[in-house]
Amino acid sequence: MEPLEIAKLVKEKYPDQVLEIKIHRGQVSILLKKDKILDICKWLHKAPDLDFKHLADLCGVDYFGKKDVRFEVVYNLYSITKRHAIRLRVQVPEEDCTIDSVTSIWIGADWHERECFDLFGIEFKGHPNLKRILLPEGWEGFPLRKDYPLDGGGKNWSGYDEIVEKSKELRKFDFYGSYEDPTKKTESVNDAAE
Amino acid sequence: MMAAGSSHHDLDRFGIIFRASPRQADAMIVAGTVTQKMAPIVRRVYDQMPEPRYVIAMGSCACSGGVFRTYHTVQGCDEFLPVDVYVPGCPPRPEALLEGFISLQEKIMKEEMRWSRWR
Repeated sequence: MEPLEIAKLVKEKYPDQVLEIKIHRGQVSILLKKDKILDICKWLHKAPDLDFKHLADLCGVDYFGKKDVRFEVVYNLYSITKRHAIRLRVQVPEEDCTIDSVTSIWIGADWHERECFDLFGIEFKGHPNLKRILLPEGWEGFPLRKDYPLDGGGKNWSGYDEIVEKSKELRKFDFYGSYEDPTKKTESVNDAAE
Repeated sequence: MMAAGSSHHDLDRFGIIFRASPRQADAMIVAGTVTQKMAPIVRRVYDQMPEPRYVIAMGSCACSGGVFRTYHTVQGCDEFLPVDVYVPGCPPRPEALLEGFISLQEKIMKEEMRWSRWR
């Protein structure tokens, strides 16, 4: 089935949920409200002529300062039997940064949603194990948000400062006792030896 | 590094052979961006190498962090490793890596007080 037909089917089924159907370079995406996303996904998964059994990707987007609704969650769906694909874009406002989890439909969404939560701070309701996946557990902030400072406020990863300290400590067992170029007989080598 | 190791540039003619284990290696090439998450593992690989051991930082990212002044990137792997040779470039040409190896060999030749029979 052509993607545009699928988009029209979705619009017929959920007319109040579909905000926009957009074609960009031959790819169709449906902009949706987040209220009934679980129902829509269940229907896309179950309907025999759609049969979207494969969630190719799930990711988040931050439209900070570009759109009124700040976040979007993007679902790329693919049907292995019917060989058609569709993209769902679901608006998530900053004030209520939550959306229903689709792990009950596609179990593969588990880690995708964790990554999205980790980097954007979008909370997936009903997710079995929603915790950080890439960043260390005690990390503050969500790095892929556009208002996040690029250097993360100068804070290092847990465990990194210990490694730097340890390597400094182990320098004294080096033959020259420093990281300076040993072929250069400079004063800095002597300083480090003292 | 793959191009430098394969037939066209051929590291073997310098007597440089890739080993599958850090325990058999004399030198270590840090090839690419080092994230703060990966730093403890890179350090462990270095710690597993037997002495004498040397480190080559290959590429802008390993030398200085490159363009990634971010929350997760190590600003040069010399923050936690004693780097002997820096090979800049993004990515470095195979010739640049060969030059790095030759520089390292020259450097080792000068270290006679360290590894000679007069030690």
